[in-house]
Amino acid sequence: MFTRSGLVRNSSPSQGGGLASKLYEIYWLLPTLAGVLGLVGVIMIFAATDGVWRLGALQHFLRVGFAGLIMLGVALINIRVWYRLAYPIYLIALALLIGVEFVGVEINGSKRWLDLGITRLQPSEIMKPAIALALARYYHDLPSDKVSHILGLIGALILLALPMSLILRQPDLGTTLLLGTTGVAMVYLAGISWRVISLASIFAVVAIPLFYVYGLKPYQRARVETFFDPSRDPTGASYHITQSKIALGSGGVSGKGFMRGTQRQGEYVPENRTDFIFTVIGEEFGLVGGLLTMGLYMSLIGVCIWLSVQCKDMFAKLLILGLTTTFTLYIFINLAMVMGMAPVVGVPLPLISYGGTVILAVMGGFGLILSAHLHRGVELPRSG
Amino acid sequence: MPPISNLNTADKNLVTRRSAILGLGGLGVFGVLGARLYQLQVLQAENYRTLSDNNRFNFNMLLPERGIIRDRFGMPLAYNRQNFRLVMIPERASDVNKTLDRVSAISPLSDLQRRRIDKDIRQNPNFVPILIKDNVDWETFTALNMRLHALPGIVAEAGQGRAYPENGVFSHVLGYIGRAGDKDIASDNDPLLKQPTFRIGKTGIEAATEKRLRGASGKLKVEVNARGRIVREWPDPETRATPGQDVWLTLDAELQEFAAKQFATEDEGDDSGGVCVVDVITGELRTLLSMPTFDSNLFVSGLTQSDMDRMNSDPKRPQFNKAIAGGYPPASTFKMVVMLAALESGLIDPAGEVFCSGKVKLGNRDFHCWKRRGHGRMDMRDALKQSCDTYFYEVAEVIGNDAIAGVARRLGLGQSYDISLRGAITGIVPTDGWKRERLGTGWRTGDTYNVSIGQGFVLATPLQLAVMTARIANTLDAIVPNLVINQTLPKFEPLDFDPAHLAFVRDAMWSVTSEPGGTAYRPQPFGSEFAVSGIEMAGKTGTGQVRGISKAERLQGIRQNSKLPWKLRDHSIFVGFAPYDRPRFAIGTIVEHGGSGAVRAANISRAILGEALRRDGLGAPGNSESKALD
Repeated sequence: MFTRSGLVRNSSPSQGGGLASKLYEIYWLLPTLAGVLGLVGVIMIFAATDGVWRLGALQHFLRVGFAGLIMLGVALINIRVWYRLAYPIYLIALALLIGVEFVGVEINGSKRWLDLGITRLQPSEIMKPAIALALARYYHDLPSDKVSHILGLIGALILLALPMSLILRQPDLGTTLLLGTTGVAMVYLAGISWRVISLASIFAVVAIPLFYVYGLKPYQRARVETFFDPSRDPTGASYHITQSKIALGSGGVSGKGFMRGTQRQGEYVPENRTDFIFTVIGEEFGLVGGLLTMGLYMSLIGVCIWLSVQCKDMFAKLLILGLTTTFTLYIFINLAMVMGMAPVVGVPLPLISYGGTVILAVMGGFGLILSAHLHRGVELPRSG
Repeated sequence: MPPISNLNTADKNLVTRRSAILGLGGLGVFGVLGARLYQLQVLQAENYRTLSDNNRFNFNMLLPERGIIRDRFGMPLAYNRQNFRLVMIPERASDVNKTLDRVSAISPLSDLQRRRIDKDIRQNPNFVPILIKDNVDWETFTALNMRLHALPGIVAEAGQGRAYPENGVFSHVLGYIGRAGDKDIASDNDPLLKQPTFRIGKTGIEAATEKRLRGASGKLKVEVNARGRIVREWPDPETRATPGQDVWLTLDAELQEFAAKQFATEDEGDDSGGVCVVDVITGELRTLLSMPTFDSNLFVSGLTQSDMDRMNSDPKRPQFNKAIAGGYPPASTFKMVVMLAALESGLIDPAGEVFCSGKVKLGNRDFHCWKRRGHGRMDMRDALKQSCDTYFYEVAEVIGNDAIAGVARRLGLGQSYDISLRGAITGIVPTDGWKRERLGTGWRTGDTYNVSIGQGFVLATPLQLAVMTARIANTLDAIVPNLVINQTLPKFEPLDFDPAHLAFVRDAMWSVTSEPGGTAYRPQPFGSEFAVSGIEMAGKTGTGQVRGISKAERLQGIRQNSKLPWKLRDHSIFVGFAPYDRPRFAIGTIVEHGGSGAVRAANISRAILGEALRRDGLGAPGNSESKALD
């Protein structure tokens, strides 16, 4: 079905056309799913704040709407423009990260924000789509026989390592790993040979313990250690995971009912409006609600992968898949954390968790995906 | 270009293939997450549900409602009333001290209260309501309510308070309640005592029947949040508090009130003293009154320093329960004891006469009769009727103090009774042994003389005098007074006097009140309606000296009591029972510094006894139960 309609449309609109026809040709299933998830977020934030609209639900609603408009705006911009802007955007994001290093705002012991007067900006969020853009452009331009070459690899590693090291210094372990994994996934998708992959895996086995010992701050190590041995500190760091699991587990199959979550009412799970919002879903709507939410995410991811398949250019494919990887990793890390399968790192559940920058970054990313798909007929220059 | 395009196609397929692998991997991760969710929410759900319940539920103690204290007809003497109180939740107050200052401006808080509040705030988590003021009156309550917006953290709420409606006439009996002190908590491990709003009996019946009145605490399941604040309550009828049982007293509230009114004077406020009315058959106390009274409600609401000072400096000692703790010389009311001892001894012929010249010389000391010119020739009956001291000096010397003391004890003097009230004294029935132990000197005949007219070392309380009279009136049983109505009637020991001797004593007592020349003679002691039914009373007056009377004074012509300072006036004493032929009630009355027993105490006793009979359905045709039955 989609294939045929895609092919049919493919003939005429790819060169641009009027705004109205372009809007019509946007792959609307994606914004619809994103919007539904945003609304799930509005409802769950409403519950998490005990039914007070002004404590987040209303803002979330407005933010989803606003970010949706941005998404459409980004989608309508020709993919050529994004292709050309890939490196500048990456450099701007890098500059902002360096800015954080010097004039960043420190909250709870980590320096992640830039104060813009009206609002605070988290440059590491901008870096997530930026790295996808930059790596997509890099591999688009790189001849495929150079992909597994040492020089080709080093270029990608530099693009990746610069922002990662800056973000790790903030410190923000979650985002660093997320960025790194996205990068690795893109390098893999770009077609790096299995030989390099196996070598890298061996290297990783050696490097990860070293990184753990020398690259992490003590509090980060403590989080990881509590995760593996929750009895180490039952009232401190593991409290969060324990209470989160109690909230989910006590929800059962069908949940305690909307606005009836006792763990939520008792404020036993901290941060349940933001990173731990899945506990509210799981407690009040049970396994059914949890699986439905995961199903929505899977549909969204599936749609994105499907869109990438329809694109011809390396840039478009890698961009879509890179952004999708980031989005998917958000979900994996967040859910694993909430379910007690990963240490507590500050990763939100995209579109559902309260928080402005994340919504903007994710929706912006979807805008890029839609743009890549919408302009899949556009020829991009290719060197080599 | 074709190679490039081929290359592109190859790339495309590669990317698609690899993205499919990644996609499958992602699907796998979702599968793992879904399985984990299944594990948590289905397999381990029960376990986590329990943990969740443990998290949220606490059990709060529910305070039982205190039992009501009632009179014999069920009229409440102490009950629980909704009251208004101010509490503060410190975490809601921006500035605790400023807020308290503002409250103080409307409803003053003493330094003591401020210290208590500060201590409570320090010792509790800051979301626990702290009591600021209890029993706030309605005016203050509304005044504060209107200013609540300026008093952050202050909450005006309704609670349960103890009320004593009978304006003070039961204060000594009932006592009052208060917050448990450290000593109470140490001796009683009921966790209720540690509750800051719980009150226990501190004195009187409130304290004596604490166990019955208190009830048992209940549990309230409450849902709490992570910080321990209550989110919701889960009432369960099974765990409700068990309210305390009511306590019924033998007292008659209206009679008690009537008795209190009899103590009123025209110009000196209420007279000071005590009166007991006891049922001659059952020993039930119908009246147990100490005058003047105080308002127990003051103790509930918190006594101010000035209230305390006023009470403590009052020479009439309102807080002191004179009915059971006031020891007074029984004076001439003791003469029945001597008389009965004389009859029982067999040494004295009641018809035998003694000549009273107004005084008896013992060694170099004169023992005077109250009648300076003497009574002339007196037999036993006349001696009691006219209260001739001389006769009793002579008789006592013959039978000896030990015989008197023995009878005194058998009539109930010199011992305390368990009437559920603390503080009852035993009084004194002096003997040789007692005197040696107390004063280190031996018994002398002069002591016997003094004892024979109820002076000297003899001390008795109004309650003991009433019991003595009731035993004389009962003839058979050594009745013991009781104050709380119990399931079973008390069983009494036999009194074991010759009934004929007691009849003789009663007849002599009848002559005191009913024959012209008796010290308390009135033609119609209870008013005209009793005269019709032929109801008569018997009694004995007493005038207790509180000071030695010097020879000079005696010569000058002495004892115009009303002209003496209050403290130096004689105690006025009366004992009696009625009806004479079929005794129902006995009374013992002492009016401190009330002058002659023939007047003040006798008048009070007559009125009270008459009212007691009337309330019991005797005498007045209008009120009579038998009339109603006809």
